[in-house]
Amino acid sequence: MNIFELMIEYIKEGRVKIDREKFAGKMATVHDPCNYGRKSEKVFGKAYYEEMRWIVDQICDTWQDTYPTAENNFCCGAGGGAWAMPYNEERIYYGRKKAEQIAEVDAEIVVAPCHNCRDQIMKSLMKEYDLEFETFYLWELLAESLIIEPWSEEEVEKAHAEAEAQWEKFGVELDDDDWEPPE
Amino acid sequence: MSQEPIKLGKRESKLRVDPKWADVCLTCGTCAGGCPVTGVDGLDPRKAVRMAALGLDDELINSRFPWVCTLCGRCERACPMGVEILAMMRTARGYRERDEVPGPIHKGTMMSMERGNNLGIPYDDWLFLLADMSKEMEEEGFPGFYVPVDKQGARVITTINSKEPFAEPDDMKFWWKIYYAAKENWTVPSENWEGVTWGLFGGDNESMKEQARRVLENARKVGAEVLLLPE
Repeated sequence: MNIFELMIEYIKEGRVKIDREKFAGKMATVHDPCNYGRKSEKVFGKAYYEEMRWIVDQICDTWQDTYPTAENNFCCGAGGGAWAMPYNEERIYYGRKKAEQIAEVDAEIVVAPCHNCRDQIMKSLMKEYDLEFETFYLWELLAESLIIEPWSEEEVEKAHAEAEAQWEKFGVELDDDDWEPPE
Repeated sequence: MSQEPIKLGKRESKLRVDPKWADVCLTCGTCAGGCPVTGVDGLDPRKAVRMAALGLDDELINSRFPWVCTLCGRCERACPMGVEILAMMRTARGYRERDEVPGPIHKGTMMSMERGNNLGIPYDDWLFLLADMSKEMEEEGFPGFYVPVDKQGARVITTINSKEPFAEPDDMKFWWKIYYAAKENWTVPSENWEGVTWGLFGGDNESMKEQARRVLENARKVGAEVLLLPE
């Protein structure tokens, strides 16, 4: 199972509830990482394009694709370890295509389901190409739009007991007097 | 001055390129047309394929191009003849002398082999961070939350991108919030939790295999049904 399938499972089974007001009226767009698309198709025989769009559709009321997209999408420019490599100028030059795509749809939110793509888009392309938008991991977009229902007292107590036993087993001690394990 | 002739053939080629590629590749340039770094250092995917087909292995291996290339696969996807450009580029990376691999990729791979994650985060620090952040989550409106470590019988086991505990620990909370809301029975490993395989980028197949083995070993140890690599 991958991140898309797990998130879809939670949403479809009603295990998570989404507040659609959170990102209402904001133009969002999505970025297809090479690894979930072209490479997944080659290695596993299945590319993941529609899954991300379905999830974004559950959260955002306003979003559109860039062009070209899916199997013809442009790499963010930092794939293959380029984010960690010393060829910054080339990495930024590479990313111009992705920056143009984002600018074309006037995105206020860019959703990337990949650490590498997110870093390149958020920390580099926005600055280098003078763009203004917010970048979210796909799971960050979901996490930020959740309606959180605190667990019941019973559930919390059970979790506290488990947590206490676990940290004791690992010998982890937090020197914080304010925090008290459950009675 | 005489020069040794270049021998062509799968056996001679480090990149295991069949000389037939010289004919298979139609030199149409579709790959080059679709590549955002065409022209950098005077190279492009089409030229790289010609280099390999003509036996200029070392010239390609020692050029920057296989590293400026992000292995995104757009070229290969568009190739009408199915030339395996990606595998060729990655093989070229793998032939680079390890101390000449650009950036921290190789060092990180070795660090991961030695210490279980690319950035060398120690075991005790990892556990302390999780315990400390569990408490933070409780204070932030998630009563009862804690990070289950090596939890037997967890349904979902998840790997971690080491950059998060190293530099952006709060970003780990996104998945934690989702797990909290879904009341998932989940866990993270106490060791070998790295989810980023730098051996993939460096062309280091042995390290890549070892890392995959560790991830699977962790999943089997707790009996997880779902292995999540949120990369």
